[in-house]
Amino acid sequence: MITYELMVLLRIMPKSELVSTLKRTAETLFDKGGIIRKLENLGTRDMPYKTSVHGMVYNRASYFLFEFNAPPLAIRDLLDEYGRDIDIIRRRIYKKIVPEHQECTLHEELQPAPYRKNVQELVEQARKLDKPKFNYNTGLDYYPFQK
Amino acid sequence: MNILNRSLVRLPITILQSWTSRCTYVTNITDVPNFDMENPFEKERKQCILCKHNIIPDYKNVKLLSQFQSPYTGRIYGRHITGLCEHKQTEVETEIVKAQSAGLMATYMKEPVFIKSPKLFDVENPLRPHRF
Repeated sequence: MITYELMVLLRIMPKSELVSTLKRTAETLFDKGGIIRKLENLGTRDMPYKTSVHGMVYNRASYFLFEFNAPPLAIRDLLDEYGRDIDIIRRRIYKKIVPEHQECTLHEELQPAPYRKNVQELVEQARKLDKPKFNYNTGLDYYPFQK
Repeated sequence: MNILNRSLVRLPITILQSWTSRCTYVTNITDVPNFDMENPFEKERKQCILCKHNIIPDYKNVKLLSQFQSPYTGRIYGRHITGLCEHKQTEVETEIVKAQSAGLMATYMKEPVFIKSPKLFDVENPLRPHRF
């Protein structure tokens, strides 16, 4: 089961309207067979860039974050539904980051080029393109006759 | 050795040999270096700043992400400047793009709120020279 995160930017409106908008977004989520894990208010602030949607230009927005589970096929419908909602300025759905431990490779990356693994692989690849050399099968490491 | 210091005296070679042999044979065993030990001059393993503090970049953490952004153009600094490992650098880059798309982060500049945030790296002294 994939946990998604829905980031919605709502236009500035009085509290009662805001509540109804949030309820509406949650309802559509439930309708598509999703369940909400978390709802977070990230505050109202100036947007880093102005956005024009539904025939209006917005400079400020209230940020809300829904954490939810839903079937992957429903994501497209959800985005489409929220795109048609005039109270929503912007919406994005991302997968929630699952923290996995990765060993730091900085030490190897700071080595001189011939010691780095990716460089060594490149050199090996280039060796494959070398012209084939004829092997005399004489058991000697030199050519015994005059060339 | 006093005999030698006093004046130039010619000593028979056998005496000299016996002196040198005495000095070389009678060595204390504890003074012999241990050749099986690990390389004492091996340098400490370097870690990037995010791995060291075990930080996972997240698109909602705009304050952190904006530190990897140029205040002049809003572009993401490369690995030779940030000094991050390959994995963390790609993570930071994807998260910045996600944050910018979600309307959390500026694209053409660094947000003025974060201009005075502490510097994680020196932009003027990259690890490797710039390609431009």
